[in-house]
Amino acid sequence: MKKVYIIFFLISSLCAHPHTFIDVYPTIRVNDASSSVVNFKWVLDDMTSTILIMELDSNGDGKISEKENLFIEKEYFSIFQDYDYYTYIFFDGKKVKLPEPENFRATIENNKICYSFDIKLSSNIRNITIEFGDSSYYVSMVLKTKFVKAEGLLIKVTDVDNDLYYGYRLELK
Amino acid sequence: MELYQQFLHTLAKWQYELNSYISSRIRSLNDENDMAVFLLVLGIAFLYGLVHAAGPGHGKALVALYFTSNKSDYKKAFKMGYMISVIHAFSALLFTFGIYFILKTMFRKNFDELSHIAILISAVMIIFVGLYLIYEAYTHKEHKEKKVENSSKSEVAVAFSAGVVPCPGVMTIVLFCIVLGQFTLGVLAAIAMSIGMGLTISLAGILSIAFNKKTGNLLNDKAYILEMLGGLLIFLLGSFLLLGSLS
Repeated sequence: MKKVYIIFFLISSLCAHPHTFIDVYPTIRVNDASSSVVNFKWVLDDMTSTILIMELDSNGDGKISEKENLFIEKEYFSIFQDYDYYTYIFFDGKKVKLPEPENFRATIENNKICYSFDIKLSSNIRNITIEFGDSSYYVSMVLKTKFVKAEGLLIKVTDVDNDLYYGYRLELK
Repeated sequence: MELYQQFLHTLAKWQYELNSYISSRIRSLNDENDMAVFLLVLGIAFLYGLVHAAGPGHGKALVALYFTSNKSDYKKAFKMGYMISVIHAFSALLFTFGIYFILKTMFRKNFDELSHIAILISAVMIIFVGLYLIYEAYTHKEHKEKKVENSSKSEVAVAFSAGVVPCPGVMTIVLFCIVLGQFTLGVLAAIAMSIGMGLTISLAGILSIAFNKKTGNLLNDKAYILEMLGGLLIFLLGSFLLLGSLS
């Protein structure tokens, strides 16, 4: 018991807890039995967005221009690669490497920063499970059933609390 | 561990709601400068701080280990918690204003870089506190002293090393208020949030003192074992923090 107590406090002091909240909106487009595209739209929380808009909307027009978009992708979005974009894909229960995100686009909607990007999958989407979470606890990914768009598929959103992270699991049938 | 993750997840869900509520209230202040909303924001900031500090970080481990290593009363735990909150709030305000008014650019990046320096300072101080406590425990062993109280100097060192790393949560709320033109509210919200955090940190100290009282009585004149263990763990904590921030 004492060991657990010590480990608990050691881990507590070394990690950070959520300072940014990201709502995740996945939209699934099935091309055929073995190919589909998942568009992820991340909507950052109001406070984080306000600070980022101050930094990123360099001309202050309330929109993200092409030039600003490129800068955000290079300087801000690409760093999430080190964290697997907080997105973990499992085929038949086996974790696979996340394909490189494509078509990145940053926008400002209702005072919030949104990041949109596509992930191309070349497997039957019905055998896929996607988990969202940050093992460093700095970001909290939030997925709700109403955020998911997947025509013709059954969706199930549950909590995931494993040894590495807490977050949400999306199952597609 | 899964239970711990569930606990963190619940905390994160509460913070998600509080974060969203507090930002919408602050935004509404822009339209109607209502004193009731102003006070409500401060109340929620206090609650947010309370929950926020219950997650990982904020020196709870350091405070808990510190009080494991020496006999104290509960008042000292409160004193320590509040010393940390004052330093925590002051450090976050200083960093936020410094970057906003002096550097004026790349806020998040500069904040992270300055925080990194603060973590290094904190880690080195924690290592020294650990070494000091080990030395004290060794002295007490030599003199067979049962009642041990650490000096107020070491208390200040613990509070400083835990509080000097600015809290990004406080920074975010302050900056959000500044951007929306609510300068006074930003400063007061930072203080309210820090008081909430101080209370949670104090609770970590109180739990540790209760643990100490129980085991200290069992150990009787071998109380220095607990002191030495506490000092050693603090030393390891500082070392992990230093290695982690250097890598």
